[in-house]
Amino acid sequence: MRIYVCVKQVPDTAASIRVIEGKRIDERMTFIINPYDEHCLTEAAKIRDARPGSEVIAVSLGGPSARDILRSALAMGAERSLHIQSERPHDAMETARILKAAIDLDGKPDLIFTGRESIDSCGMQTMFRLGALLQIPVLSNAVDVDIQEGEAFVSTEAELGSRLQYSLSLPCIIGAGRGLNTPKYPTFPDIMKARKKEIRTLDLQDLRFEPSASSMELLELRTVAEDRTPRPIEGDPDTAVEELIRILEQEARII
Amino acid sequence: MTEKYDAIIIGAGVIGAPIAYELSKMGYKTLSVDKLHDAGEGSTAASCAIVRAHYSTEDGVATAYEGMKYWLDWANYLDNVQDEKGLAKFMNTGSLLIKSQGHDWRKVKGHYDAVGVAYEEWDNKKIEKMIPVINMWEYWPVKRPEDPAFFDPPTQKLEGGLFCPEGGYVNDPALSTHNIMRAAEKYGARFKFNCEVADIRSENNKAKGITLKDGTQFDADIVVNAAGPHSFKVNQMAQGVFETCNIKTQALRHEVMHCPSPEGYDYLNDGYHISDGDVGCYYRPEVGNMFLIGSEDPDCDPQVWPDPDAFYAGEGGPGESKELSKAQWKAQCYRLGRRVESLQVPEQPRGVVDLYDCSDDWIPVYDKSDMDGFYMAIGTSGNQYKNAPVVGRMMAELIDAVEKGLDHDQNPYQYELKYLKGRTFDMGFYSRKREINYNSSFSVNG
Repeated sequence: MRIYVCVKQVPDTAASIRVIEGKRIDERMTFIINPYDEHCLTEAAKIRDARPGSEVIAVSLGGPSARDILRSALAMGAERSLHIQSERPHDAMETARILKAAIDLDGKPDLIFTGRESIDSCGMQTMFRLGALLQIPVLSNAVDVDIQEGEAFVSTEAELGSRLQYSLSLPCIIGAGRGLNTPKYPTFPDIMKARKKEIRTLDLQDLRFEPSASSMELLELRTVAEDRTPRPIEGDPDTAVEELIRILEQEARII
Repeated sequence: MTEKYDAIIIGAGVIGAPIAYELSKMGYKTLSVDKLHDAGEGSTAASCAIVRAHYSTEDGVATAYEGMKYWLDWANYLDNVQDEKGLAKFMNTGSLLIKSQGHDWRKVKGHYDAVGVAYEEWDNKKIEKMIPVINMWEYWPVKRPEDPAFFDPPTQKLEGGLFCPEGGYVNDPALSTHNIMRAAEKYGARFKFNCEVADIRSENNKAKGITLKDGTQFDADIVVNAAGPHSFKVNQMAQGVFETCNIKTQALRHEVMHCPSPEGYDYLNDGYHISDGDVGCYYRPEVGNMFLIGSEDPDCDPQVWPDPDAFYAGEGGPGESKELSKAQWKAQCYRLGRRVESLQVPEQPRGVVDLYDCSDDWIPVYDKSDMDGFYMAIGTSGNQYKNAPVVGRMMAELIDAVEKGLDHDQNPYQYELKYLKGRTFDMGFYSRKREINYNSSFSVNG
């Protein structure tokens, strides 16, 4: 099987984001692989290992720093990678067209993984647009994947506690959810091996893709200042527990 | 009316709090002020709180070994005080110093023998048996992952290590400081928080008290600078003090990483504190079955000396701020990854960034100053947490002796260790007037 994994670099969630000129993130900050993409790489490696002769190819669109992310993807188990060089931002419509062109140029996919979303723009669009362009089925927020002969049996998490099961014909696109697996991080020997693996560079102008009829332009980027001042929960233990449950249910909405 | 005390201690961290405690026990009416909201919440809270005996000088080893006895007898040291937050715990894991070119371990061994530190010689086989995830290949000299030579295969093995059954870390450094504050309060010590010092007042070269940023004044004839990474700023507030110190202090940025233990290895419960100069790291167990990985400050690593106020205000770009940098994350995790090849290194950095109060030779200044009544317990250089209870006692005795007329500069105070009976310590070792001590490791190892 030939498995493509689309990876994106995103700002470290623990870092303070600085916006430059109202439009760009200060790229001197720490970037990491989109965490959902780590689940993709772990799952893709697992599927590959069960099928001798299979390979995992990581694909990323971006500037020179995208190579760092691809190097990490190679350490997490991809055999080789495609770096589509571009210094400018792309919306989901264009990104999907570029990814399709790159994959078409490289080979025929049996399976494509993306994260269910990127944690920076949280658009949840690229995988569906890529699926439409490739005319293959797409399923997002996968928490279980079982590949059988020509078919993918996929469970998704619908709401907390409930799962939906699907069967998709291959090739297809699967958007990894957090519950899919525990990411397997690289050890030093993995990192050593990754240094010798291929990062194939593709220039945007060499890829044949139709420009999309419409496009999205980023007008302004603003950071949201979160109020992290702790709020004491007053009262006796019974009252405090009731208030805590109310907060978890109604404000945090996690129970 | 201005409140009057016998002694004011600036800083309620792990150095300032024991000084307040010991002075109070001696009958001094003390006030501790800190710009933060509670004891031990500054750079103390970020300390790795490692308690180990190895230092580059015999006096350093003796002080650390003496300090360890306090941690082993914590409740007694605190005079069995109750702390509503509970007591900090000394995790006595044992401490392994790997014999390598990164440490002058032969000198350390000599100091262990001279001081009477309990230790065992472990060969490579024993180390690999006791720590099954480790290999004992030599990777020296310490390099950065940006250097292609970092990835060169090792060719020879190390020579084992020195294992001290006594050694480890304190599980919550801020809590340990809070414990000392509660013990000090039992003897009448006062602590005031959210108090930022703006001036040290003096008359005729004699300390008279402090003025806070909001204008509040407190009077005392004794003022002690235990301000951690802000120590040089406090010295600059006291007329003539900064200029007359031969040894200066400065804030040094330092990153500590938390990396998950390899699958199937319970480092939290089975692991030791390890000083591994061969890869320029020290490591110890951390909650969540993590490896806490600190740097032993190898020459190839950049040093960043930020303004402490700007640093704590969140200013400074990548590699200068309170956020971990990916380059250093990789450097420290990959270095340990050579020693522990099954260590999985996540993409996202996790850990702590804070400041050392670093002196010119990485040895502290525990001394009087050229201003009468102004004292300093500064320049702890990331290696004095373990010594804090000893420092508290030592400083209190020094202050008492000087206030009673001792000319400490001419006739340095001889401190008698409390646990290591019969051993005295020449406090001139920590003098502000000393020349740089080239016996120092010039690193966190002290």
